[in-house]
Amino acid sequence: MLVIFFTIVLTIAAYWFSRYLFLRFGSPLLNIVIISTAIVIITLVTLGIPYETYAIGGDIMTFLLGPATVALAVPLYKNRPLLKKYGLAIVVGISAGSLVSVVTAVAITMCGGLPREVIISIASKSVTIPFAVEISRIAGGNPALAAAFVVATGTFGSVLGRDLLTWLKITDPVARGLSLGTVSHGQGTAMALMEGEQQGAMAGMAMALAGVLTSAIAPFFLPLIVK
Amino acid sequence: MLVKVLKVVGQIILLWIIYWLGNQITLLTGIKIPGNVIGMALLFGLLFSGLIKLEYVEDGASLLLKHMLFFFVPYAVGLMNWGEVFYNYGLILALAIVLGAVIPFFVVGYVVQLIHRGDKSC
Repeated sequence: MLVIFFTIVLTIAAYWFSRYLFLRFGSPLLNIVIISTAIVIITLVTLGIPYETYAIGGDIMTFLLGPATVALAVPLYKNRPLLKKYGLAIVVGISAGSLVSVVTAVAITMCGGLPREVIISIASKSVTIPFAVEISRIAGGNPALAAAFVVATGTFGSVLGRDLLTWLKITDPVARGLSLGTVSHGQGTAMALMEGEQQGAMAGMAMALAGVLTSAIAPFFLPLIVK
Repeated sequence: MLVKVLKVVGQIILLWIIYWLGNQITLLTGIKIPGNVIGMALLFGLLFSGLIKLEYVEDGASLLLKHMLFFFVPYAVGLMNWGEVFYNYGLILALAIVLGAVIPFFVVGYVVQLIHRGDKSC
């Protein structure tokens, strides 16, 4: 019981510390999730606390993730004029991006001969964690692994995404925001917000819609192609 | 201060109820769409129809969204059990992550610029 309490306090402390570092120095390399996770894992391993014990407190801590996802409807609702104005570009762009993202990751890992559980878990790598966790649970993947791939993709996108888009000659602010949100979800949205308000609003919308689209399609589609 | 705290807590409870309803809809209908997605669509619909006013949920929602990254940490800690997979397949996984980001980055950007430019010329 005391151990569970300790793991919760540890996670909150690690989060506050990483968040402080990020806000203080503002570098995308100071990724909040990676630093917090590293602190927690190193502490658990040092003290010999198994993941199974940590997971009890983990369930308590992630209790509010569901309502947090529902809350994504709020920025979406606030930006509904943009949704209407760029409707076609938004829907086509995000659908194409989500599809390509799933297909690329699944194709590469299938060719590489990875276990089925891993392939299904990597499929949802571009959608924000609450969606990815649900998708992998429904489709037969592993939620923790799915979450890890999401964080890896988000980190890649937030560190290199903006330079990459410039290099690919994607200069339109709407297009940049949508790319960042579709591919690297919340972490990409944070970077898009740093670039500009329009990019940020577009990225937030892309994150939400990519999550919804992938959640609606992936659970049907994955069991058919990944044997 | 206390009133503000109670207000935020109340709003989070309201968001939780909508989330719960989303899960119930998934369970009862058996559709393979996550409950949180249904919950999100439900809240969007409620806001759009005016049944729920933005002020009823705004503060609670912005608090949860501000600290959303916190909820990712316990999931990411689950990685400590997957060291072997990363050790054995690290290169392929890195390739899948990098190409799986670069290609869709380009696709979304290109498609949106194409359509968006079309909009302007009309």
